[in-house]
Amino acid sequence: METSHNGPDAVSELPAAMLQTATAAGDWRLILPVVIALMAGALLLVLRHSRGSQSGFAILAVVAIIVVEIDLFWKVLETGPLAMTMGNWLPPFGISFAADLMGAGFALAASVVTLVVLVFFQAEIVPREQRHGFYPLVLLLLAGVTGAFLTGDLFNLYVWFEVMLIASFGLMIIGGRKIQLDGAVKYGFLNFLATTFFLVGLGYLYGLLGTLNMADISLVAPEADKRAMTGIAALFLLAFGMKAAAFPVNAWLPASYHTPDAAVSALFAGLLTKVGVYALLRIMIALLPASRDVLDPVLTAIAVSTLLVAPLGALAQTNLRRALGFIVIGGIGAVFAGMALPTVVGVAGAIFYAFHSILTMSALYLVSGLVERVTQATDTRQMGGVYAASSPISIMFLILIFGAAGLPPFLGFWPKLLLAQGAIENADWLLLFAVLANSILTSIAGTRLWAHIFWRQGREGARSEHKNDRLRSLTPLEKWAAQGSAIALVGVIVLAGLFPNLVFTSAGISAQDLINTQRYVDAVGIEVTP
Amino acid sequence: MTEYLMAPFVGAFFTAAIYLILSRSVIRMLLGIAVLGNGVNLLIFIMGRVSPEVPPIVPAGALRPSELAANPLPQALILTAIVIGFALFTFLLVLGYRAYQELDADDTDNMRLAEPKNAPRPPMSY
Amino acid sequence: MSSDLDVGFSLVALAPFFAALLAPLLYRFTKDSTGWVLAIVPASIFVYLLSFVESMADKQFISAGFDWIPAYGLRFSFFVDGLSLTFALLISGIGFFIILYSGAYLKGHAHQGRFLSFMLMFMGSMLGLVLADGLITLFVFWELTAITSFLLIGFDHVRQASRRAAIQALVITGGGGLFLLAGLLLLNRMTDLWELSSIFQFGPAIREQAVYPVLLGLVLIGAFTKSAQFPFHFWLPNAMEAPTPVSAYLHSATMVKAGIYLLARFSPILGGTVEWAVALTLVGSVTLLWGAATALRQTDLKQMLAQTTVASLGLLVILIGIGTKEAILAAVLYLIGHAFYKGAYFMVAGAVDHGTGTRDITALGGLWRTMPVTFVAAVAAAAGMAGLPLTVAFFAKEEMYAVLSFTGIWDNLFLVNLSLVIVMVLGNAMMMAVGLAILLKVFFGEPKPTPLKPHEGSFSLWAGALVLGGFSIWAGTQLGYFSHNVLEPTAASIYNFKVESNLYYSFGMLTSTPFVISALTWVLGVVIYLNISVIRTRLREFARDLGWSFDAGFDWLMFGLIRFSDRLTRLWHHGRLELYLVVVFVAFAAALLVPMWGTFTLPGVGDVRTMTFYEWAVFVIAIIGLAAVVVARTRLVAIVSLGIQGFAVAMFFILFGAPDLGFTQFMVETLTVVILALVMTRLHLDQRDSREPLDLLRDGGLALLSGAGVTMLMITVLQTPLDMRLSEFFAQTSVPLAHGSNIVNVILVDYRGLDTLGEIAVVMTTGVAILALIRIRGGGPQTGVGAKKRPRGGPGRKRKAAPRPARVSGRASARKASA
Repeated sequence: METSHNGPDAVSELPAAMLQTATAAGDWRLILPVVIALMAGALLLVLRHSRGSQSGFAILAVVAIIVVEIDLFWKVLETGPLAMTMGNWLPPFGISFAADLMGAGFALAASVVTLVVLVFFQAEIVPREQRHGFYPLVLLLLAGVTGAFLTGDLFNLYVWFEVMLIASFGLMIIGGRKIQLDGAVKYGFLNFLATTFFLVGLGYLYGLLGTLNMADISLVAPEADKRAMTGIAALFLLAFGMKAAAFPVNAWLPASYHTPDAAVSALFAGLLTKVGVYALLRIMIALLPASRDVLDPVLTAIAVSTLLVAPLGALAQTNLRRALGFIVIGGIGAVFAGMALPTVVGVAGAIFYAFHSILTMSALYLVSGLVERVTQATDTRQMGGVYAASSPISIMFLILIFGAAGLPPFLGFWPKLLLAQGAIENADWLLLFAVLANSILTSIAGTRLWAHIFWRQGREGARSEHKNDRLRSLTPLEKWAAQGSAIALVGVIVLAGLFPNLVFTSAGISAQDLINTQRYVDAVGIEVTP
Repeated sequence: MTEYLMAPFVGAFFTAAIYLILSRSVIRMLLGIAVLGNGVNLLIFIMGRVSPEVPPIVPAGALRPSELAANPLPQALILTAIVIGFALFTFLLVLGYRAYQELDADDTDNMRLAEPKNAPRPPMSY
Repeated sequence: MSSDLDVGFSLVALAPFFAALLAPLLYRFTKDSTGWVLAIVPASIFVYLLSFVESMADKQFISAGFDWIPAYGLRFSFFVDGLSLTFALLISGIGFFIILYSGAYLKGHAHQGRFLSFMLMFMGSMLGLVLADGLITLFVFWELTAITSFLLIGFDHVRQASRRAAIQALVITGGGGLFLLAGLLLLNRMTDLWELSSIFQFGPAIREQAVYPVLLGLVLIGAFTKSAQFPFHFWLPNAMEAPTPVSAYLHSATMVKAGIYLLARFSPILGGTVEWAVALTLVGSVTLLWGAATALRQTDLKQMLAQTTVASLGLLVILIGIGTKEAILAAVLYLIGHAFYKGAYFMVAGAVDHGTGTRDITALGGLWRTMPVTFVAAVAAAAGMAGLPLTVAFFAKEEMYAVLSFTGIWDNLFLVNLSLVIVMVLGNAMMMAVGLAILLKVFFGEPKPTPLKPHEGSFSLWAGALVLGGFSIWAGTQLGYFSHNVLEPTAASIYNFKVESNLYYSFGMLTSTPFVISALTWVLGVVIYLNISVIRTRLREFARDLGWSFDAGFDWLMFGLIRFSDRLTRLWHHGRLELYLVVVFVAFAAALLVPMWGTFTLPGVGDVRTMTFYEWAVFVIAIIGLAAVVVARTRLVAIVSLGIQGFAVAMFFILFGAPDLGFTQFMVETLTVVILALVMTRLHLDQRDSREPLDLLRDGGLALLSGAGVTMLMITVLQTPLDMRLSEFFAQTSVPLAHGSNIVNVILVDYRGLDTLGEIAVVMTTGVAILALIRIRGGGPQTGVGAKKRPRGGPGRKRKAAPRPARVSGRASARKASA
């Protein structure tokens, strides 16, 4: 080495640097969703003044993404994790994109939700807002989210986090109501700090391990200095815990989710916290198992407190969407419960719950948007009589709220089942109690909302309960675009709840791959050399 | 091994930044955000270990840089992070300014639209 | 296991759901005859199930089902034995009449289609529940009964009382269900099996496990909440807010029996221990007496029936708890008898309500003339309730009083058995008195003026009551067929051994102990009936003096929970950003410091290299800049000092071999300062920190701790050697392979080009976002509570509230900063 750096024969002494085989055509589907989203986002930015073509083009792009991701999902389901490395540099030197079943599944769910929200937004459109870049921002948000789910490199994950974050900033303030600005200030500062903590943790991690590739990290992490590792893991826990809105660092979510348009909050509810959850699952289970013995009690404490405190928040709210924000947070507690259980069943429960949460929480916000349209109010005390006014909205709300509470036969029941089983396996009675108590509390909060908004005929305080005279019916556009898209999403949720085998299979495989990273590491192609 | 002395130096950046961010005034918080970004960049830089003055550039005609060259990877990461951090800072700055204009407050204690101070109590009914 | 059985039994549970989906649509076409059309579903199910009765007599099991979630080993599986079949027959048989009855009862109601749909869904859930073999299948249907009954109880949703009752029932039964879920999962954990039919054989082994009491407790809570056992009994009377068909079906014949079914089903697995017997007999006894006494207090027909239902459920629990052959026989007999007479009585109550417009027995009288058919049904029902000979319930009493003379778990504890018999006698007598009161006060005596002119309802309204009342007597006379095909197989399923019954009428039995006790019960019943007014007044006074009820306790609990939530949420989600930030930084400091606690080591002095003068200078300048930013009072000082620390950082990068970084830092820092300066001309910097000294202390301490944590973790990491693989690789390949000599640039555009792509995306997105932010016009429509309230300006300043749209562009918002 000491003589080679100027010698003419240095080339022959080069290490193996490039992957010799060309990237298989099929592997491109790993990066294709992100590329489509970014390019579509950029193009939409250019097109932002032409009103007619925007929505169609955005929807088309997302459909293309979904097609690619379905293909990707099946491929991963059949053959195990897939990976490709940018520029064909040998991993871990280049940036790897790697999809295991969890990443591919979350990415798919995220695009499906995005598609639904885009269609829903057709009924919500205000020309001014369109001009200000709703469509490009949504596509860029999707790019960030998808990139985060599919990347195999920790610093690259940070970059996608930031893409997602800044796009969500933009979406948060679109519409420009004062309340949005207020929400955005809290959302902005707290989330900025979360990603900064992530970056800090990343800096430490590089300083400790000298690598950024996730598969590589999972190989070298067990031998690293344990104290430092625990500190770094704790930092990541804080950073992603904030992103995921876990108690007690969840304040940004109920402060902001109810402020933008319903379509935007639906998108946020489906995507944002779940990226945090995804990162936590990766980091806490796959990457840093060494620190778990110290952090396990912390995880349990977070899980229990989030599970119990969040639904109480929903119980105390009078703003519908703010109440739903707390229900989203309760679900994050369930994911933490799964993480605190280091068994396949528990982790599978966490993954399943996150998947359910992407779909169900988005749908809940969409339905709440419809409720707000029909009642022309955002405060549950001003609502009433929706049951009589609209059967579809009522049915959807009921299905979703029971699903969120984890009652069978809805989608939310299955992950709760896995979590309860995992808790029993580990004789973790506290977690078992919290998981089940969360269901009871959530159903209390949910049925109260149901009683106030749907069953009650009039508004709060009207003693004789006069009929709510502010109800209006949906316009045809709202009926077809907004309600139709919500019905489609709820339909998917119901079907997945009745026939959950595919999700069970996927969650099980994902959990196994997370706990035993062998297949993932092999796919990325890190050679195990000391 | 200069790095050990640099650790408290970075710590000072964090301390100052956090102290500023905790103040309720939006403008001070923004100052804090700017300082925090510097602190983080320094942290990454130092985590890549610090060596004296040789930049990681391959001299003309050579095939690889000097053995003494600085670690290039953290530099690349920081370059990315600086730009991203600056973008976010700009957004927060404009946001803070717009919030000040619209909400007529630069004290975050007075920004209470989304979560009003006297929020209604939940009704005791079914 | 043949496939048509698989399909058949799955359809038994699922067909009602399919019918339910169609019901609202169907109603548009068939209107008030929808009930007749839909009644075909339970009728066909009943007929289909009837074909299995003979095979049950030979104690055959039938299992069927499909793979549901093979990934988890779950099957959608069914298991039919005497017990399930009896329940399924009751559910579909009574269901048939109830659907007919509903059609007539809700004639012309706008939401009849919806109602029938809920009823059918409920029926499907119930059928699925009693036929389920898989533990999870069972649980799914269990909770579905809670959900559908929620919808049914709240059907009359305009009234708050209905909504309350619905929520109450859901919270109690659904919540209890979650305990059951825990129990079922525990059972699975112990046996590694999901199918009840295969778990039965492990009963003895399970009962010996240390966790058995936990398992028992969980299952019992599930069963007790569902079957309205004390102290969860109060939801059932409230559920009477539902339309009468619901009360007749859910709250007498089926849903509340789900808990009884569960106890019976689990009896072979969990039963026969002292814990089981004590828990069941104790809870059952309290429920029986409480329910019966409360029933005496009521004058509302449905309330009286509801409370006696609570009592009857208690009686059933006692009998299952005793668990001897006779007790089980008595339980099955009573179960069937009760389903008949109580279902009939509820339908009678509904018919009376429908025909007269009131349900208060003090306002009714002499109806036998105007409602003769209903009267006949009522007589049959009252006979059943009293347990008179010729009814099924008569034999139930005979068997239950045999507890006194036969052996059981307390074979030599005569006193225990005696007190149980006394409890049962008392309970039965009180129930009989209530039954008599309904019959005699409503149908005899002087006719009283009622809101509607008393009239007999349509066929559908009285048919069910009449047939059920008739069945009660039919089964009490066709003893041979009934015992062999229904009673014995059912009892055998619970008892887990072949049970032979010996039911007959003879003169010899007149002197047997059970008959004597029965006779005593009748006498006592009549005595209570004769004094019912006095007793009612006494009981009401007592309840008033008590001043507290479980039902009121529920409100107290719910509203207490809501108040607590309110307080808690105000505590955590107050809307004050700086406190949110405090929480975040506390967590940050803890994350850094706690892992270091006690293990932090400083490096040796020899490891610390001295620094050059330039390096020191940069350090000092940066620190000065930092300190100045922190204490800055004017915007000029703040901006300048921010610039100072930024440029010091840039110098630092240049000093340590990162010129690219240094120049970028210079540029970014300059931009930052310029933009800040621009904004600060409008957004003014407070002269001084507005924080209180205590807050300053808190924030300062937190900042110092965080800084210390950052430092300590850095030092810890720096003590380990850095693996330079990546950078070494870049150094080696940068020129030969990537053809660039500036390695940092090569990394950015080649090795890690994707990061740069993402970075560009961030910058692009920021542009869009800022554009959106700037183009916002104020005064848009508000959402959210309190949005109209304009927050006050910062302390010490008053700004004019600007209603006009504010713009970023120069003039419009060129306010002077009042600095």
